[in-house]
Amino acid sequence: MGDKKKWFQLDLGLNKKQPNAGTCGCGKTSGGCGSHAAEPPKTGHAISSAEFDAAVEQELTQETMVGQTRKDGFQQVFDVKMDRRSAFRKLTASLLVGAGAVHTSCSVTAGEETKEKAQLDWEEQFKGNYKLMTEEEKQATVDRLVRSYQLRKKENIKMTATDASKDVLFGYAFNISKCQGYMDCVSACVKENNQDRNSEMQYIRIHEMKDGEGFKFNEADDNYYHEVPAEGHFYMGTQCFHCDNPPCVEVCPVEATWREEDGLVVIDYDWCIGCRYCMAACPYDGRRFNWSKPEVPEEEVNKNQHYLGNRLRKKGVMEKCTFCVQRSRSGKDPACVEACPTGARIFGNLLDPDSTIRWVLENKQVFRLKEDLGTEPKFWYFMD
Amino acid sequence: METVRAFRSMVKDSLGYITHGSKTYHIWMIFLTVIMLIGMYCYSIQLDEGLSVTGMNDRVSWGLYISNFTFLVGVAAAAVMLVMPTYVLKDIDFKQAVLIGEGLAVAALVMCLAFVVADMGGPSVLWHMIPGIGVFNFPNSMLAWDVIVLNGYLFINITIPLYILFRHYQGKEAKSKIYVPGSILSVLWAVGIHLVTAFLYEGLQARPFWNNALLGPRFLASAFAAGPALIILVLAAIRKFSEFKIENKTISKIAMIVTVAAQINLIMLVSELFKEFYAPTHHSESAYYLFFGLEGKTALLPWIWTAIPLNILATVLLTFHKLRNNFKVLYFCCFILFVAIWIEKGFGLIVPGFIPGPYGKIAEYTPTWIEIWVTLGIWAMGAFVFTMLAKTSIGIELGKLRYKKKKVLESETA
Amino acid sequence: MKTFGIVCSLIMLCGLFSCKHKEGEYHSLKEKIEEESKHYADPGISSEAYIGDINTIEITEGEHTFLIPERKSQIKSFACTECHSKPLEQMQNEPGEQKAHWDIKMNHANANAMNCATCHNGNDMDNLHSLTGNTIDFNQSYQLCAQCHNNQVEDWKGGAHGKNIGGWAKPRAAFTCVNCHNPHEPQIASKWPARFNTEKVKERK
Repeated sequence: MGDKKKWFQLDLGLNKKQPNAGTCGCGKTSGGCGSHAAEPPKTGHAISSAEFDAAVEQELTQETMVGQTRKDGFQQVFDVKMDRRSAFRKLTASLLVGAGAVHTSCSVTAGEETKEKAQLDWEEQFKGNYKLMTEEEKQATVDRLVRSYQLRKKENIKMTATDASKDVLFGYAFNISKCQGYMDCVSACVKENNQDRNSEMQYIRIHEMKDGEGFKFNEADDNYYHEVPAEGHFYMGTQCFHCDNPPCVEVCPVEATWREEDGLVVIDYDWCIGCRYCMAACPYDGRRFNWSKPEVPEEEVNKNQHYLGNRLRKKGVMEKCTFCVQRSRSGKDPACVEACPTGARIFGNLLDPDSTIRWVLENKQVFRLKEDLGTEPKFWYFMD
Repeated sequence: METVRAFRSMVKDSLGYITHGSKTYHIWMIFLTVIMLIGMYCYSIQLDEGLSVTGMNDRVSWGLYISNFTFLVGVAAAAVMLVMPTYVLKDIDFKQAVLIGEGLAVAALVMCLAFVVADMGGPSVLWHMIPGIGVFNFPNSMLAWDVIVLNGYLFINITIPLYILFRHYQGKEAKSKIYVPGSILSVLWAVGIHLVTAFLYEGLQARPFWNNALLGPRFLASAFAAGPALIILVLAAIRKFSEFKIENKTISKIAMIVTVAAQINLIMLVSELFKEFYAPTHHSESAYYLFFGLEGKTALLPWIWTAIPLNILATVLLTFHKLRNNFKVLYFCCFILFVAIWIEKGFGLIVPGFIPGPYGKIAEYTPTWIEIWVTLGIWAMGAFVFTMLAKTSIGIELGKLRYKKKKVLESETA
Repeated sequence: MKTFGIVCSLIMLCGLFSCKHKEGEYHSLKEKIEEESKHYADPGISSEAYIGDINTIEITEGEHTFLIPERKSQIKSFACTECHSKPLEQMQNEPGEQKAHWDIKMNHANANAMNCATCHNGNDMDNLHSLTGNTIDFNQSYQLCAQCHNNQVEDWKGGAHGKNIGGWAKPRAAFTCVNCHNPHEPQIASKWPARFNTEKVKERK
């Protein structure tokens, strides 16, 4: 895995198409390729790996001609060469079976990049559920996604697959008396998490409520546009509460959404089938659906991504707030917390007895929404 | 070997049989095909653009497709009301009706599955739901249960009639030792599919309109009214357009089932209305929206106020023996009851569940034309499937389709 | 009878498999947090890198020890005594002397409660002073705020008021009062929301 990462960071994909072609396409050596191990054997796969090997061989010949410029790269290619024979056998066999025409990468005339794209798409289409992947498989799919983006957009992104740390349980507190309704959090969230600009998808809603009337969500306005804070009103933000007993996770028929060890409720966008049962099950309006293909202008794409977080989504899948998993797992605050100009948002580790979130929970009058449903949200509200 | 050959011959014969028929038959099939093609075209648009071409949105995230799905599960389940007396209690009256009923169940299930697929955001990754290859959130997700029970029910409802027809095709009697256990299973299973589908909604604490213990029983009652009502209409059509003889007694008996179920359904409706409006809490807002509209949003009023009077009218008319035994009145009642329950259990159940949203926001739902055409296309597909199944089974039952070979082999297989 | 049977077995199956609280160990989230944090070991995540080039100093207030931004190096032309070479009364009366700080508007409490001298000491411009005349360093100006806004400062120490620098992980670094509130006009100004969602309007029309 370390090797792969090192190899990947060479990042020669833009100048030299070939060398990288096999590399991130299929997680390097046939042993380490994640999706192969995850799937039951398929004819399509045999062809894919065989072709990949063919491509590598071509590359090898090229490379010998140019001279060995990249030692470590060559070594890895060499590893592949070792099991190329078996791969060729597979290729012959599958050609005999006549299943050779499964996808465009079979075409000899297609450009190498097109082939590689098709290869990546193929493997992405038939990869397993992220939750059940091994570390290698996770890294392999991340590499494929990065490479795929590189091929499509000629831009590099950084994608991580950081796992939950032990002794971390994320929690969030929201100070109702501090929030002034500026919506800087909403704005920051949209930018950070690459949300669809056309449908103006937003994870956070800020409800403007009248003083002295209690929480009347139905009378609150969550789409105001006037100078704030408005006289006689207070503001309350909602988003995914990352319930500890999340109803959305229970209902998903394919386990495409789950609760991570650090309490984040996440979605594998590639595993989601788009049935929207989770959306119906969420009592907090925490989930969003991509009704059409989400689009973010290239220059606005946040390139620091996490597999479970803000990577670019496709149409027909669910998405939601992840407490900015790409940030929070490396010690940063979520974008909304950072953007809030009033300090109404507090985020931290619930298991750390010295954390600020713990201090808030222990010293403030906190409450949660719809506690009677037994969902145990990890999102508390409090007042000064 | 002989069996395989006979089976092949049956498939060939039925294929020949369903492609030939009267002019009316051809016009009917062409009509269905055209609608199916339009539906497919609309579905291709939906595939291309995404579900944004439908009227659904983040507020109302299930619409016409899931409404029809829910209703059709009921229709499918209703076939058992005929199976039970025929196969198990040996009530000969239903014998002819039951094959039609099971054919209807198969068609309804095919439509159910089609509606579910049409509603999916990512139909290309539906293999994630196949146990073994995909990941199945089995005991936890009611949708996973639903997929299992629907497919299981489909399997049962294909195999039992297939077995019986196959035996008849060969000119033999179907052995009750084989099909009776299957029939009993299918009876239990039918209740299962409907309860599980009800649990799909009932289990959501987020939606108070659905999170209601009466939902399951009410599903059953309305299904056992609407399903047999449809069967009566279909039998009437078959009586008219084919030589297949269906006795008045059969239809009267089914009418009895419809009546009782419709009465029970009405009682439950009253109970539900009482609970929602006698002591309304904020959980009654969905019901308010459905029946009276909320904050000036009244999209469902015409629907529900069509459904309720029709429902009451049909139930009242059916309750009087004299009226019920007049077949013209009966067909009329069955038709309006079917429409009423389709509205009540489709639109009237699914859409208000989402309105108002978790934070009281109201976004109304109106299906788009694309959605409507896809829906019509799927209904046409159901009708298409049913017509083919019914035609074949009528052909076999009437003895028009028979295995030509020598019948001496009977002794050997017996 | 049979119908009844299947219903029963279905319900029992549901009960057997999908018991919602399968974690079982804890009755509530609160209990779980308390229990699991008993054996808390630092996860080894640091947010130090995100503090960036902000100079910080460590302060200890009660049981809380954390970093706050260093202030003096951020004040233009500190030390103040570089201009304020003599006591204020003398400077104000001096003819030909340049006027400074003309743009400072006081909008903090009312004139009865506060004026410049509540915090600044005309005789020692490099430091602040408390109500009782004790010297307070510019870097610890929160002590000055604490004189009146005790609740807010208590909240701030605990973490319920104010904002983190960097992130949630250790080391804890927090902005101090004057990083967000201008001490002369501490009220945060009203403004227009950062976004307006036109799609939402369409959806609910």
